[in-house]
Amino acid sequence: MSCDRMENDGMRYIDGEMTPAQAAEFEKHLAGCETCRRSIAELGRVDSMAGRMRIADPMDVFWEGYWKSMYKRGERRTAWILIVAGAAATALFGIFEIGRNFGPVTFVKVAAAVLAAGLALLFISVVRERVHQKKTDRYRDIIR
Amino acid sequence: MTEESAGIGKETLVAWKKGDQKAFEEIVRASMKKAYAMALGLVGNVEDARDLSQEAFMAAHRARGSFDPDRPFFPWFYRILRNRCLNFIRTRSKRGEISMDVLVEKECGRPRPDAVVMNREDSNALWKALFGLSEEHREIIVLRNFQGLSYRELSEALDISEGTVMSRLFYARKALYDALKDRFESGGNEKVG
Repeated sequence: MSCDRMENDGMRYIDGEMTPAQAAEFEKHLAGCETCRRSIAELGRVDSMAGRMRIADPMDVFWEGYWKSMYKRGERRTAWILIVAGAAATALFGIFEIGRNFGPVTFVKVAAAVLAAGLALLFISVVRERVHQKKTDRYRDIIR
Repeated sequence: MTEESAGIGKETLVAWKKGDQKAFEEIVRASMKKAYAMALGLVGNVEDARDLSQEAFMAAHRARGSFDPDRPFFPWFYRILRNRCLNFIRTRSKRGEISMDVLVEKECGRPRPDAVVMNREDSNALWKALFGLSEEHREIIVLRNFQGLSYRELSEALDISEGTVMSRLFYARKALYDALKDRFESGGNEKVG
């Protein structure tokens, strides 16, 4: 069972967003509508419980570190962008130079290329894992 | 949200838009508590809320070119923060666990020891129940009840009509009541009402 007036008028009534005249008119409706009366009692209870609470402020030490760690985060982001851009440019240049002077394909050259690709993959994987660990380590801000 | 932005002068916003680092720091310091609380209400974990709110400030700093200093900062910023939090919830539930003892009573005063225990139980029950709701429902309860946003502010922050605000609040409260029904019926939280 539901009443069309609960969604709009019921919420405005609970939240005090009605004028006194609108509230009085809605109270008249409540007197004759059992469904709305029950809903107002139930949802009003939820609102009253939640309305008494607020999210607690962390201690001052949390806020002291907030700006500093955010600033570091910005610096590191910039550093990472520069590192990745530099590494990509160097790799591209290296590939271009190797391609230009590659000469005939030999077994040794193929083996060296496979080794280089493996090392690059391993490096990327280790870096990615470290970054993930750093992000998910809840004790990262504790100085050991 | 407007009262928070009222603490940030237009000159500060204009200076920030031009890239002034001091102005940025002032904006962050004026808004960080609210940003953190809103992020925590969405993601539920203290560390994630701190990281996401910091990332949102950095993203806002990068996007400051699109900010209009004639308008308040926080509603604009909240959209960035909200998108970050919702993306985080959808794509990376890396920590997953919900921090507890996060809610406290708004009233000052000094409650009796037995009341403290009951309030902590209530607040943790409420907090857990909130994280059983959809993000949409949880968000509107957090903004309305914990942050005290008016319908107009909710409409602006969530980019929905006031009619949708009321409808969403109705279904969110209904879902929250259902989640806490056993507690209410067993006589818990007697002070409520």
